[in-house]
Amino acid sequence: MASLAEDDQGQGASRIQNPEADDKKKKNSNMAPTSGNSIHRSSSRPQLDVSKAEIQGNFEEKHPTILLPNQSDDISHLALDLGGSLIKLVYFSRHENQSANDKRKKSMKERLGISNVNRRSYPILGGRLHFVKFETNKINECLDFIYSKQLHCGGLESHYSDNVADRNAIIKATGGGAYKFADLFKERLGVSIEKEDEMACLVSGANFLLKAIRHEAFTHMEGQKEFVQIDPNDLFPYLLVNIGSGVSMLKVDGDGKFERVSGTNVGGGTYWGLGRLLTKCKSFDELLELTQKGDNRAIDMLVGDIYGGMDYSKIGLSASTIASSFGKAISEKKELEDYRPEDISLSLLRMISYNIGQISYLNALRFGLKRIFFGGFFIRGHAYTMDTISFAVQFWSKGTAQAMFLRHEGFLGAFGAFMSYEKHGLDDLMVHQLVERFPMGAPYTGGKIHGPPLGDLNEKISWMEKFLQKGTEITAPVPMIPPGTTGLGGFEVPLSKGSTLRPDASALNVGVLHLVPTLEVFPLLADPKMYEPNTIDLSDHNELEYWFTILSEHLPDLVDKAVASEGGTDDAKRRGDAFARAFSAHLARLMEEPAAYGKLGLANLLEMREECLREFQFVDAYRSIKQRENEASLAVLPDLLMELDSMDEETRLLALIEGVLAANIFDWGSRACVDLYHQGTIIEIYRMSRNKMQRPWRVDNFDDFKERMLGTGDRKPTPHRRALLFVDNSGADVVLGMLPLARELLRRGTEVVLVANSLPALNDVTAIELPDIVAEAAKHCDILRRAAEAGDLLVDAMISPSNSSKESSTSVPLMVVENGCGSPCIDLRQVSSELAAAAKDADLIILEGMGRALHTNLNARFNCDALKLAMVKNQRLAEKLVKGKIYDCICKYEPAN
Amino acid sequence: MDPRKSENEGNLDPDQSGLIYQMALDIGGSLAKLVYFTYDEDCAIEGKDGMSPEKAVAKSKGSKSCAVLRGKLNFKIFETSKINDCLEFIKSVKLRLGGCQRQENPGSQAIAVKATGGGAYKYTDLFKERLGINLDKEDEMDCLVAGANFLLKAVHQEAYTYMGGQKQFMDVDHNDLYPYLLVSIGSGVSMIKVEGDGKFERVSGTSIGGGTFWGLGKLLTKCKNFDELLELSYQGNNRVIDMLVGDIYGGTDYSKIGLSSTTIASSFGKVISNDKEIEDYKAEDIARSLLRMISNNIGQISYLNALRFGLKRIFFGGFFIRSHPFTMDTISVAVNFWSKGEAKALFLQHEGFLGAMGAFMSSDQHELKKLLENKAVHQQASSIKACAIAGDLHGDESIECCVYSV
Repeated sequence: MASLAEDDQGQGASRIQNPEADDKKKKNSNMAPTSGNSIHRSSSRPQLDVSKAEIQGNFEEKHPTILLPNQSDDISHLALDLGGSLIKLVYFSRHENQSANDKRKKSMKERLGISNVNRRSYPILGGRLHFVKFETNKINECLDFIYSKQLHCGGLESHYSDNVADRNAIIKATGGGAYKFADLFKERLGVSIEKEDEMACLVSGANFLLKAIRHEAFTHMEGQKEFVQIDPNDLFPYLLVNIGSGVSMLKVDGDGKFERVSGTNVGGGTYWGLGRLLTKCKSFDELLELTQKGDNRAIDMLVGDIYGGMDYSKIGLSASTIASSFGKAISEKKELEDYRPEDISLSLLRMISYNIGQISYLNALRFGLKRIFFGGFFIRGHAYTMDTISFAVQFWSKGTAQAMFLRHEGFLGAFGAFMSYEKHGLDDLMVHQLVERFPMGAPYTGGKIHGPPLGDLNEKISWMEKFLQKGTEITAPVPMIPPGTTGLGGFEVPLSKGSTLRPDASALNVGVLHLVPTLEVFPLLADPKMYEPNTIDLSDHNELEYWFTILSEHLPDLVDKAVASEGGTDDAKRRGDAFARAFSAHLARLMEEPAAYGKLGLANLLEMREECLREFQFVDAYRSIKQRENEASLAVLPDLLMELDSMDEETRLLALIEGVLAANIFDWGSRACVDLYHQGTIIEIYRMSRNKMQRPWRVDNFDDFKERMLGTGDRKPTPHRRALLFVDNSGADVVLGMLPLARELLRRGTEVVLVANSLPALNDVTAIELPDIVAEAAKHCDILRRAAEAGDLLVDAMISPSNSSKESSTSVPLMVVENGCGSPCIDLRQVSSELAAAAKDADLIILEGMGRALHTNLNARFNCDALKLAMVKNQRLAEKLVKGKIYDCICKYEPAN
Repeated sequence: MDPRKSENEGNLDPDQSGLIYQMALDIGGSLAKLVYFTYDEDCAIEGKDGMSPEKAVAKSKGSKSCAVLRGKLNFKIFETSKINDCLEFIKSVKLRLGGCQRQENPGSQAIAVKATGGGAYKYTDLFKERLGINLDKEDEMDCLVAGANFLLKAVHQEAYTYMGGQKQFMDVDHNDLYPYLLVSIGSGVSMIKVEGDGKFERVSGTSIGGGTFWGLGKLLTKCKNFDELLELSYQGNNRVIDMLVGDIYGGTDYSKIGLSSTTIASSFGKVISNDKEIEDYKAEDIARSLLRMISNNIGQISYLNALRFGLKRIFFGGFFIRSHPFTMDTISVAVNFWSKGEAKALFLQHEGFLGAMGAFMSSDQHELKKLLENKAVHQQASSIKACAIAGDLHGDESIECCVYSV
């Protein structure tokens, strides 16, 4: 499958995405077969179309630019914010992750009423948005980066024009440096900088990010970050406070609708300017760093200093309130040299942050704006600054207003410049079409300044190795002081020295935004707005620590499996080590700052592990295990089916559900179960597990489900029209558990759609593997065979042409769709369009397994009947969720309202 | 009515000459302010030696519009850090506070003096120990407001605007005084919404005030005192220090958002962009940037608060202003800029003494207060010395006044 995966999928994908480009390609190269015959394509290896490649410019150059006029797959798009201290880049690279065109899928699409023509023609390009920072004084690094990635000649404009070598290419840019560096860009890259209005960029950047990223905004009080979900339809109006050298306050009423209503000249420049004069610091960051050890009581005159230690409670001022910033510098006979630079820096920071917070609040009040977002270089994710501003807003508003900050705060301008391209392709982008991922190295570089670009896998590995050589320790997560005890309160708390907050730890990481236009919100969610996939809230420190430990402990075993899956070669070992380091680094970073990657749920954590594996090109770590277990299970399936068929309807239904729960014990994601495997064969364990099933289960709505299925007395309920079965693990779980259940539903006249992962995650069965499993099972079972034929599932497995099957079959179909994700959990806000389409006619959902029914979705409500089945293979989870024990079972049935 | 015409006959008792009839203190974080009332030496009071004003008033009830007390309200300033000077001064003047008081309460040993400001608490023991004076604490805000209300009503042309170097005095209609915003700029800044006598609320404030100006200024310029720093700012040029809109937008206005090229974009923002050290900057320029930054900020926050409560007048007082033209100008410009010309900053002649005046007014040991409140005091405008711009901190000032019975 791996070799097939490398087929020329790019063509098929781009044909769908961009007919215009494809026509051109045909004209140019006449090489692309238009009927897609490729299957799955690895997401990590974009293909280059090297037809008509030519070397551009001077051939004697050391690294001449190679032009790839027909390379339509990785079109890039770049915009810049050239600030005084930092250069921010936002660039887009096109990737079409998901294959869409094998024959089976095509017929599935037809069946589900999806066709590439009459469904929406995806105006959005699938791809990735990257966010990168450079220091302005190292602009050459930035130019090298752009050059090495060929970002400057991949703009959409050139894509649409025949002449890519058109040197009138432009790059949109904002920020003061847009003028200053225009010549440099022309000279080095041959591109012209087109300057965009700074405020307009800020606003469009903020608008987009707030609408497109679910938890973009967060509050910051007393060292605690809390992500806020903002309804994109209820975003406006808001106040955007941009703190640069000076401060601008913008009232934003809509896209492109904004007004600068206020501002203050006391801003970041004042802090840095005064700080430089007073402390001799050489950089802004150095000055900020100083505040950590500062104590403003040495400099500021507090209410207590005036009132002899007493509060002026009558007007609500506590003794520690700053009465006069720098007021103490008056009365003492000290010189500048007698004050600690740390104290000065802190006093200065508080003075300025507090003032900005106050003026912002007054302006929000004036225009009746309920939200205030703060951004700009002054903040830089600095915890103390954010806390002081938050405190000021809270203090002056008496708690009625809250300051909010943005995760992509530094990139608003660059993003806005990106949006100013005529064809940026992001117009109709919806929040569910974006997936943020944190690639390797994110823990080190994400929130900070980027070094040289990392190209291929080899570079990535050696980068990780170098990191170790340098002695930078990447340790497994260790317990730390729970947040909230940082003792920082902002303006009034006397001991708010800031010593407990690290500025760099607070700088949040910014991931790569994957744009997947085919993702949709699962249409059967009862309340998509209120839906929260994660059952476990990792903002609880104890939970976080527990799961981090679990993941760390599981890591060596996972690496072994992964290395073995790639043949155990030296190369695989090297990649395995690098993966382990990279993933440990992610964990360590998140342990240090749980909010570093945004709102963190267990599902995100588990998906990150899979993504990290893929990044080091472990395509499918459990491949051989899955295969072995599938075979072993399929071998005993006929006996099991026979056993089931001998039962009466009622007994059989119970046996089937028991079977699903029992078979769910085969889970390589669970430590306890992995230990079990050493004690017996699959069928032994399965039987033991089933024999142990004793009702009532910990959560047991079986009787309700049975009533819905079989009715009571003489009343026979109408069977479900279509059932979606979200399957979990390979092997016994799917073969001995879910397939027999599917068979029962089919027998009752219910269409069955097996919903499986698009990409491998642990030993979970994937949508690509399922047809083969079904075909094998169908050999011994007529019901499955006819249903699979009716569902066109057997086209790959059988030699006979599929055309006739539809007519000859009288069965309801058994179908397979991919769910759009590569994680052991599922976020139903982001599922494949196939699944969304399949869901339209469904009136029963069965979620099976810990990842999809417990870690996520246990509390999800649906517009149709829903059955959640899982065995709890984790002691703590059992206690936490159902007050039970390990191996307890959940059978949660929730009828449609 | 010309008070001079009402000068009364009557005996001048030499003993009464220079008698401090009543005193009040406002001891702030950086300055201590004194207000005290003295009899005019050459001015008679109606009544005998030691007669209480109460009695004098009572006695004069019969005659219409004749002064019962004539003297001066005196204003004096000390640095709080040199509180001893203040104590010495009080000791040195013939402090025979309310001779009447002792007369009427012969048994009482301690003299009570009204005081406000944080120092009233801090220095309680010191006053008791050194002078035998009990500081009778009055609430700071109460005093500020009472002082402002009194001065605005009683003193002719107490308020004025200051734009482009021009002082324009104005009379405030007593019946249309409220509500107003009183911005008291001391070490810190308090913003008080005043709706009537004793009816007020501290609605806002900022820690960036006079103390910040002086504190930062002292660290940056080595100036020895506040007035020296103010003086310096007069000669400075803030363009060397501040980043202006023109600096960012290449000399052109950023008119799209209504900012002219000379608008300060970032105070001290220019200090970032070059490699100069603190020694390379002129103290004058630093002082000026600092003053503009602070005045502008106070003006802006004040305006936003006035807007919030729908207050049409903003009075600025407190010792930061000190009738310093540039300070007043910056505040006026800020209010004008942010209100788009709709609001004007108003200043008070006795800006530094609002608290002390209020404390003075809070005295209930005699009838003076009542008389003053009944607008029995008339100030001779010509006799007011402008508060010392030149920076003589100990320069005092007085308002000559008469107390009449009505």
